[in-house]
Amino acid sequence: MIETLLTPLHYQYMVKAILVSGLIGAVCAFLSCFVTLKGWSLMGDALSHAVVPGVAIAYMAGLPFALGAFLTGLLAAVGMGFVKKKTRLREDAVIGVVFTSFFALGLLLISLYPSGIDLRTIIFGNILGIADPDIWQIVIISAVTLTVLGLKWRDLLLFCFDPNQARALGLNVTALHFTLLTLLAATAVAALQTVGACLVVAMLVTPGATAYLLTDRFGKMLAIAVSMGTGTSLVGAYASYFFDGSTGGCIVVLQTVLFLLALVFAPQHGMLAARAKRLAA
Amino acid sequence: MSDAPVQLDVHDVTVTYPNGNTALQDASFRLDGGTICALVGINGSGKSTLFKAIMGFVRPSKGSVQISHGTVAAAQKRNLIAYVPQSEEVDWTFPVSVWDVVMMGRYGYLNFLRIPRAEDRRIVEESLARVGMLDFRDRQIGELSGGQKKRVFLARALAQRGRIILLDEPFTGVDVQTESTIIELLRQLRTEGHLMLVSTHNLGSVPEFCDQVVLVNRTVLACGPTLEVFTEQNLTKAFGGVLRHFRFDESTVQKHDGRTVTVLSDDERPLVFGKGGHLEFSQRQGREEIVKQRAEEPDDE
Repeated sequence: MIETLLTPLHYQYMVKAILVSGLIGAVCAFLSCFVTLKGWSLMGDALSHAVVPGVAIAYMAGLPFALGAFLTGLLAAVGMGFVKKKTRLREDAVIGVVFTSFFALGLLLISLYPSGIDLRTIIFGNILGIADPDIWQIVIISAVTLTVLGLKWRDLLLFCFDPNQARALGLNVTALHFTLLTLLAATAVAALQTVGACLVVAMLVTPGATAYLLTDRFGKMLAIAVSMGTGTSLVGAYASYFFDGSTGGCIVVLQTVLFLLALVFAPQHGMLAARAKRLAA
Repeated sequence: MSDAPVQLDVHDVTVTYPNGNTALQDASFRLDGGTICALVGINGSGKSTLFKAIMGFVRPSKGSVQISHGTVAAAQKRNLIAYVPQSEEVDWTFPVSVWDVVMMGRYGYLNFLRIPRAEDRRIVEESLARVGMLDFRDRQIGELSGGQKKRVFLARALAQRGRIILLDEPFTGVDVQTESTIIELLRQLRTEGHLMLVSTHNLGSVPEFCDQVVLVNRTVLACGPTLEVFTEQNLTKAFGGVLRHFRFDESTVQKHDGRTVTVLSDDERPLVFGKGGHLEFSQRQGREEIVKQRAEEPDDE
């Protein structure tokens, strides 16, 4: 029994996959607290799709995939800001139009110029087959993101809660906005490897959303989200060995299960608690 | 507390938004510390644009805002400008406690990592005690009543040690009791030399606690002491035909009612003008001068 449970750990590729997933899970979860509070979930989804043409171009040009992805991600973000400013369209329409354009361009490029890169890898992720240089890119992205968040989370929190106060105190709100956007793009790139473009948004939203249901304090929210992100990613990657299923699918399904549990059983904001309150009233 | 007298000088300010809409044109007024000034005007009259210009959120296309003879940016660096937002602007479900919010007033004083020192904690505690909210320090902000929420943000302005405090509609969603508490606190701050600019459409409360008034409608129509500026004539200019009237000379009130007529209103205080459109106060106390002066004016009847 124990022998069976330990099998995945005998394979170096499994150990790598589990550890890298855990790292990405932690970083995404940290950021997810800001994403949910700022109301940027759709933005996270958009960026994770907008990085696809960058990945394609980078592979064709033989550049680090993170670089290309990062650039198109930011280009999309700037593009959204531009269209929003110049038109009377609502933000969700702008985001919808821009990110699908980028994603479509990516698909077109990959199908026109088939190179070393597989479409399935980008869309669904392939953490089990991850190459060492890619791991290094992820480690660097994660280290930078965690450092920036660790140093500046209080400023970012104020920016999410009350940007006017931040501005009145002379904080550079534009810089904070772009810091958060940049971190989001960078993290989306890293997460692409594990769960693929389609599911990145889950990693960037679900842990924060779950934690938000469980607490009224930001500190606790961070702790819960990061534990959940790390835990589900480690376990999901490990479990995918036995199911022989998609790693991304495993991780996100686990996260969804925890979210549903919180939704029903959360002590303050859960459905059962709400019902009890209604009955008591 | 810094004791340098604070001064706000809005000079010839014109603000045009990127969509070409000019929200404010050639607006000028000057205020000194030790003042509670009402900013009065209809929706869309440029009240919030004026606030934004003073806080440095919009750059005037013409004219300038000077704070204590310096730029707005310099005033921001010195944490001089504090802002108490409208309740609707705040996300009350945000996972922060009363303490966290008031500490946000101290951010400008904190180091790169924004880690509070003992001094900052002391000031936050003192600010909370001053608005009577210290017992609620660990509550999540959404658990508070309307008046308590207002007081928390007022405490944040105190913790920031702002010399200019901008309050946006401080009395909406607040009961009469809390309104009095807030007014009392503003009066204390006035004696300490703060300058408070209160945006409000609660006209009746203006004579109660504001010593200065700035009337706006796309520009500054009038500014100065409440008694001089807050006249029926000026308000008609600022509001056009949107105010409701109850004119005694057109009503069923007769001579036998004398001065026993009572004016009630459910939420906002009524604003009452006397003969020729001069302002009437609800309390004679402290206004003996005016009463005496007006008593000497000739009677029609």
